Amino acid sequence: MEHAGIPTLSIYVKAFRHVAEEMGLSRVVVTPYLMGRPLGPPGDVLGQRAIVDTALDLLETADGPRTIVEMPARDGNERPSLHKRGRY
Amino acid sequence: MAESEPTFKEFKDSFAYGSRSDLSFKFLKNLGSDEAADFFQELLWEIGEAQDGGDLGRVLDSVLRWQVKAYAPRTGAKRRWVYKDAPFARLAKPLAESRLGLLTSSGHFVSDDDPEPFGVAGMTQGEAEARIDEFLRAMPYLSVIPSETATELLRVRHGGYDVRSVARDPNVAFPVDRLREAVGRVGGLASDFYSFVGATAQGRLRNEALPDWVRRIRDAGIDVLLLVPV
Repeated sequence: MEHAGIPTLSIYVKAFRHVAEEMGLSRVVVTPYLMGRPLGPPGDVLGQRAIVDTALDLLETADGPRTIVEMPARDGNERPSLHKRGRY
Repeated sequence: MAESEPTFKEFKDSFAYGSRSDLSFKFLKNLGSDEAADFFQELLWEIGEAQDGGDLGRVLDSVLRWQVKAYAPRTGAKRRWVYKDAPFARLAKPLAESRLGLLTSSGHFVSDDDPEPFGVAGMTQGEAEARIDEFLRAMPYLSVIPSETATELLRVRHGGYDVRSVARDPNVAFPVDRLREAVGRVGGLASDFYSFVGATAQGRLRNEALPDWVRRIRDAGIDVLLLVPV
């Protein structure tokens, strides 16, 4: 598409970020969701809108290819595993 | 002879098109048995934490971490679709005057325009999953979806991923309502949007299908294209 002069925006789930990188896509939004749910939970209008807006922003901010923005978790919480194998 | 107990490897692999097929967890097949065991142990632990803290998000985060790990390229593995060149097109006119298109690999179509894969009318999601090997060898079919289609007329079928979310709300992978709301910021929407089943012959997709799709999209006067791979 880009070769044909059509700018593209792509929305990828986190597990496939490396695919977008390998393909050298131009403007990519990576979302913190599971495969099959690129724009997040059903009915989450605000979350979906934020993702589309972030993609459109890249048309104005991306200066070159391979521009990737990773969306933070929806509620902004980082939850590292609390599981300490073998130490409990 | 008595049937032997399934091994743990058989158990964790059975989520990928096996007796326990669950496409949200088919990634278990990509994990080694030790890793998959760690996944289950951590998952159960986080469920315990979630019960105490009331935060189910930590269970989802745990699944997400393992899914990312399962799909990450293995060290030394040969990667097939790596491109050195990265073409970059700029908007030819301001966004507020540009026409926005949509192309997704989510397998959406309009209810009265079923692509009928392999000649099967009304194929169910379960049948599509069972025929995934045929899809992976087949030429992709591009469904044309008028952008004014009522959202409730959208249907989805895709043997490669768990369609529960998109069946409940197409916007999860085919964000038609969100794009309609974006009109104003963008000049307008293309008259047609597009979707295909992304589980398809990748070489044929690139070499045989794409040149025609690119031509179509250019001829439709689309100035910028949103891609949603699933």
